[in-house]
Amino acid sequence: MRISIPHIHKIEGEAGFWAEVAKTGQIKELRLKTLQGLRQIEGILVGRKVQEVPIVVSRICGICPVVHILNACMALEKALEIKVPVSTDLLRKLFLASQIIHSHALHLFFLSLPDFLDTSTSLSVKGERSRTIDIENDLDLLKKFKKEARAAIKIRDFALKITETIGGRKVHPITPTIGGFRKLPPKEELKKILIDFPSVLNSAAFLTKTFQNLTYPVFKRKINFASLFSRKEYPFFQENLIKISDDKISIGDFYSNKIEEDFKIPPVKKTKYKGEPYMLGALGRIKNNGQLLSFQAKESLERFLKKNNLSEEDFFGSSFYNLFSQIIEILHFLELSRNLIKEILESDLEEAQKDFKIDKGSGLSAMEAPRGTLFTYFEIDKGGRILNCNIITPTAQFLNNLEEDLRFYLPNISKLSQKEKIRKIRALIRVYDPCISCATH
Amino acid sequence: MRPKIAIVSLTCDEGCEFVLLDLGERLFNFFKKIELVDFSLIEENPFPKGKIDVAFVEGNPITKEDIKLLKEVRKKTKILVALGNCAALGGIPEMKNYQGKEKTIRFIYKKLKGIANPDIKEIDNFVKVDFTIPGCPISGEEFLKYANELVKGKIPEICQNPVCTECSLRGTKNCFLSQKKNCFGLITLAGCGAICPKNGLLCLGCRGIFKGANVKNLLNLLEKFQNQKEIEENLEIFGIKDDVNNLKN
Repeated sequence: MRISIPHIHKIEGEAGFWAEVAKTGQIKELRLKTLQGLRQIEGILVGRKVQEVPIVVSRICGICPVVHILNACMALEKALEIKVPVSTDLLRKLFLASQIIHSHALHLFFLSLPDFLDTSTSLSVKGERSRTIDIENDLDLLKKFKKEARAAIKIRDFALKITETIGGRKVHPITPTIGGFRKLPPKEELKKILIDFPSVLNSAAFLTKTFQNLTYPVFKRKINFASLFSRKEYPFFQENLIKISDDKISIGDFYSNKIEEDFKIPPVKKTKYKGEPYMLGALGRIKNNGQLLSFQAKESLERFLKKNNLSEEDFFGSSFYNLFSQIIEILHFLELSRNLIKEILESDLEEAQKDFKIDKGSGLSAMEAPRGTLFTYFEIDKGGRILNCNIITPTAQFLNNLEEDLRFYLPNISKLSQKEKIRKIRALIRVYDPCISCATH
Repeated sequence: MRPKIAIVSLTCDEGCEFVLLDLGERLFNFFKKIELVDFSLIEENPFPKGKIDVAFVEGNPITKEDIKLLKEVRKKTKILVALGNCAALGGIPEMKNYQGKEKTIRFIYKKLKGIANPDIKEIDNFVKVDFTIPGCPISGEEFLKYANELVKGKIPEICQNPVCTECSLRGTKNCFLSQKKNCFGLITLAGCGAICPKNGLLCLGCRGIFKGANVKNLLNLLEKFQNQKEIEENLEIFGIKDDVNNLKN
């Protein structure tokens, strides 16, 4: 039997799904097919001036340009041995947190929520009997779930305001560059953002309840998780260690020796670790660093586990809980944003952009994008031009794990109608929040 | 009957689509006035079989499927709009056109079989384009302004002025051009509020060249204080080098 979804909607970028299942239930072939062309961003950068890099890498992705810019800038700063002031790091952290929040909020509500709606949840539409709710269009979703929509949009607006205030623009920010920012945000603007904070946090608490009450499919398997690792704070910005399964490895060692890139099926270089697929993103970060989440985030997660009678093993055995993990991270990063803004308001914003000398060198940086760890590597020649460049995106890394999950999941849903099967497959693919644009850059 | 609108994406980063979603409530209020027949980022419905009144097309035609989709959209659509710099001018991916046919890709993949690697061309090389919403990315404000006219069947007029007319640095010592920097504000179409210079970045021309711009004059001026290679490289970033070459002679 063949199951195919020629074009999976509601993900960033274009992809399709294709599987061939034997009568015995055995999966003969299964794959996610990338449907977009290769833009060759890494190749394009070779030979170009370092100063152009932030502008170009930003265009890898329309939803997460911030992390592409920041990670490239920090890799180049390592290569050029530039040290930026503490205040620059604070602004950068806030900038990155804002992007994780608005990306998660978009995915939670607009892309994935309808996949988890059925009338057995408390979100059921009055007067309808228990069955799955088919919402094929977000405009219908907005009509049926007005309060939830308002909450999601409110959270996005708040985070986007931070992105815009620091970056000068929401999509493809202008100010961030090597050595800091071309221009610093006025403190009064940052202060104004704080006014909305209490009501935004309420909206997030409200959405947490929404996602707590959804019906998550039964799914459990052993998953390897990777993310940055820290002992001090919930890591997302700048760390030197990766935690994968139970190993802790320096980012340099992981990037140079451990990550296995597959060049066989262009246009995406999928990766493995010790021959195994691995999962990244919100669920992975919480698995590896959950004890460092904010109080409210931790408490909400515990409540969820208790309410649904889930052990930690259950929770981290199902990629479907990536969805709930995202709302937990929204709670965490909202609180962190407030704290960062306060800290920035109290500190002296030093020079906007550090001067630097052009020299040869190489640098690697790893940072948590909304969807997982992003690796950016550059080599520069003595004239300040790019000699070598490699960008390993979270989606390229987790696609193998997604396919593994799908292989595991397909037999579980073999008795469902074709339509229901497709609905479930789409739900699992989308819960990863894949960004095919990033993966195919 | 409400006008039928499609928002279609070819190979790209979908940045212009996110500009739309980032409008939040204001986008959804606009959608109330129309019938959204395709916008795969927020709906599951199959590609529309019938006619489309206005289609916004974002991105680069790179794969065969991109080109097929683009042509299919054209067949169904009364007004086809190029949405943003990639569709209108080739964008960042066009930089590879100046690097040698296989050099760029060989840096990423050694075996090229099965990878589409055409020269990057603007969508008007494949289909007729009725209107362009410029910029990398587009401005959400501009989208709403022009889309409201387009859905009434009107092709909007864009005021043909240079970015400098909107630039807060104009006439000050901070003007990039007066600092002898490679700023293209003098030939680039206004409407962005000079958002890049305002944020400390010189204008790289992502909105394209306005009608009546004196390209030759600017190039002559820039050549006095910049070397030719630097100027050309900057013109490559947002795909305006080919347009400038056509206009300067």
